[in-house]
Amino acid sequence: MMDNKNIPNVETTNQENAAPETSIGFGYKMLRFQKKIVAPTLRHILLALICGFWLIPIVWLVATSFSAYDGVNISRFFPKEWSISAYTRLFNPGDDTANQYLVWFKNTFFIAICTCVISTVFVLCVAYAMSCMRFAGRKFMMKMAMILTMFPGFLSMIIVYMILKTVGLTNSHFGLILCYSAGSGLGYLVAKGFFDTIPVSLREAAKIEGCSEAKIFTHIVVPLSRPIIVYTVISSFLAPWMDFVMAKIMLNSGIATDWTVSIGLYKMLDMTRVNQYFTRFCAGGVLVSIPISLLFILMQKFYVEGITGGAVKG
Amino acid sequence: MEMEVVSSNPFKALGAAIIKGDIWTKLSLFIWGAGALGRKQYIKALLLTLIEVFAITMLIQYGTPYLQKFNTLGEVEREVTREMDPDTWEMVEIVNDYDNSQLILIYGVCSILTMVAIVLYGLLNMVRSYALQLRAKRGRHINTFWEDIKSLKEEKFYKVLLSLPVLGVVIFIIVPIVCLIFVAFTNYDQNHLTPTHLFTWVGLRNFKLLFTSLGGAFAYSFRKILTWTIIWSIFATLTTYFGGILMAQFINSPKTHGKKLWRTLLVITIAVPQFVSLLLVRYFFQDQGIVNTICRNIHLTDFLRNIGLIRSSYIPFLSSPGWAKVTIIMINIWIGIPYQMLIATGVLMNIPNDLMESARIDGANKFQIFRKITMPYLLFVTGPALLSDFVRNFNNFNVIYLLTDSVYKTTDQTMSSIRAKEVDLLVTWLFRLTQDEQNYKVASVISIIVFIICASLTVVGFSRMIAGDKEGDFQ
Repeated sequence: MMDNKNIPNVETTNQENAAPETSIGFGYKMLRFQKKIVAPTLRHILLALICGFWLIPIVWLVATSFSAYDGVNISRFFPKEWSISAYTRLFNPGDDTANQYLVWFKNTFFIAICTCVISTVFVLCVAYAMSCMRFAGRKFMMKMAMILTMFPGFLSMIIVYMILKTVGLTNSHFGLILCYSAGSGLGYLVAKGFFDTIPVSLREAAKIEGCSEAKIFTHIVVPLSRPIIVYTVISSFLAPWMDFVMAKIMLNSGIATDWTVSIGLYKMLDMTRVNQYFTRFCAGGVLVSIPISLLFILMQKFYVEGITGGAVKG
Repeated sequence: MEMEVVSSNPFKALGAAIIKGDIWTKLSLFIWGAGALGRKQYIKALLLTLIEVFAITMLIQYGTPYLQKFNTLGEVEREVTREMDPDTWEMVEIVNDYDNSQLILIYGVCSILTMVAIVLYGLLNMVRSYALQLRAKRGRHINTFWEDIKSLKEEKFYKVLLSLPVLGVVIFIIVPIVCLIFVAFTNYDQNHLTPTHLFTWVGLRNFKLLFTSLGGAFAYSFRKILTWTIIWSIFATLTTYFGGILMAQFINSPKTHGKKLWRTLLVITIAVPQFVSLLLVRYFFQDQGIVNTICRNIHLTDFLRNIGLIRSSYIPFLSSPGWAKVTIIMINIWIGIPYQMLIATGVLMNIPNDLMESARIDGANKFQIFRKITMPYLLFVTGPALLSDFVRNFNNFNVIYLLTDSVYKTTDQTMSSIRAKEVDLLVTWLFRLTQDEQNYKVASVISIIVFIICASLTVVGFSRMIAGDKEGDFQ
């Protein structure tokens, strides 16, 4: 794959310029044919193969969700009989405690909205303070934040669980929201990187006009930061949907109506249940994946900056 | 008049405040309002003192009962006695006034942190009072209370901005970490569960359990799991990193049409939540699963059995140690490459064009450009990210747990006796230790070790970033 570079091939153009159309021999025509037709076709076929390979499990997920058979399909890739019964039963659980998909969806949605609001406010506040203001202890706080983010959150979740238990907040959505959002200020780096690029002259001008620091934040910097706000909102909204560990630790009562989508779907695959629920698991998985994939693809480009810590700006 | 200013070095400032401070300044260490009172800031003085009184009262009221028992973590075990209620003639259960070690630990840690905070604020307050004293001496303006309030909207706005986020971090991250460190020195496990039992300090015994031959099963499993964790992190990081770069190069080449389509197709795999995609893949590869059926149909299973790679009638993708490790790394490539491709794409688009241009003019060919420009640039920009990838993989809970939990059964008796499996990472083992076995003491030690490894790697990787604060360059 080494020859597939993103640099326009200078040599080819040089050759073409040097050899006028009329004097091209048969061999050169073949070469041209190879360069213009064969190579690109091969390249795209290879890409299609790679992407197809990558999507096999996803295709299997969607196909299985439309199966008429309840258990794990082990003999064929595509189901023998197609049916949408998994979806209809997913939404009409009756008194089936193992399948409360709508309730789980609602729970997760509520938790995600609350987390999203708190996290976004926290992140923007910290990012503004660290980027636009200068005060004693700022560098110290930034170094502390960097080390603290290294501590994988769920390692200390056991203790957070104990603490929340003493105040009676386990098995409650409020407690889970706090777990997701309380430490979110630590994820300020991307937003700070963005605020750093807002010209300082803009803020100075506002200050001369008599704007208070608070007003500069709410009336100048925040409106200018739409992309980064969108990124923060989407990524903090997605966190509770994608999370599995924290919800599993915090919501352990076994009451199905308390669960989030991830816990609910995970429980569907218990050894004792999997043969009745596998198709519904797939259906539930498809339904939760659609909105999430859309949001994820939307924020793709910010996502990159988020990971490289803004180093991408170049 | 001498021009004195408060030093920016906190220790020098403190020294100056102690030596040169007047009676108000010195007093403000113990009575927070004193400094303000001396400069006639009455409301501020009152408020500061009230806060101090409140903090100390809370500490005495809620902290001391637990702090007193902090050195033993409680001595009175819970006892239930059944007695006849003289009025109703029914048997009732009477619980004695027992100690709860867990509460003592948590409240004790909170109280200690509060005390530290009170002392630190006292010191800070003294330095501030000294600064105020200097202002007064020089005849400068001293803020009234309303001016102080107004400054919260101006140069002190950061205090408003940071108060809640910092509080959240302290309560949900710092306090738990401190508690966790303390738990590592106790015998809090399944035999000492609160509230029915007590646990107490045991010094370094838990660390010895993991690091010396004293530990038996623990030391054995720890060594094995740590080795696999490191091998896994290296493989998972390198395969996806270079795979991602190659894929990004391939897709972003000017010869490729429909770049966005290809990218999106790949990204779908990581956009599906992992608890869906990984759980699904787990059934995809199970012993009687569809991949095995296909392999049997194309006679791959027979072939592998003939050459002696497997002994069973199926390929144990996720059920024998060797195969499972390979499969997990493969599945991780499936998840990891799209993700790394996204990053590499972002970085590649930002390679300064003039660099490429001049290389081309100098007659460098494509391979040379890749080796001499693209790769070094990528490594330069994503080098620190490579380390944080390593850390992320070191703690890659989802991939391992979702793929192997309840599917992979270990045959190693020593490991299974303490809930460990050959394919476990330190974090999944520690999760199982707490969730299935409630062995908090060992879990805490593992957490600390994981943290030390990850934090030191990060400090190495980001020292450049920490040292040089480049934010000014963009402004």
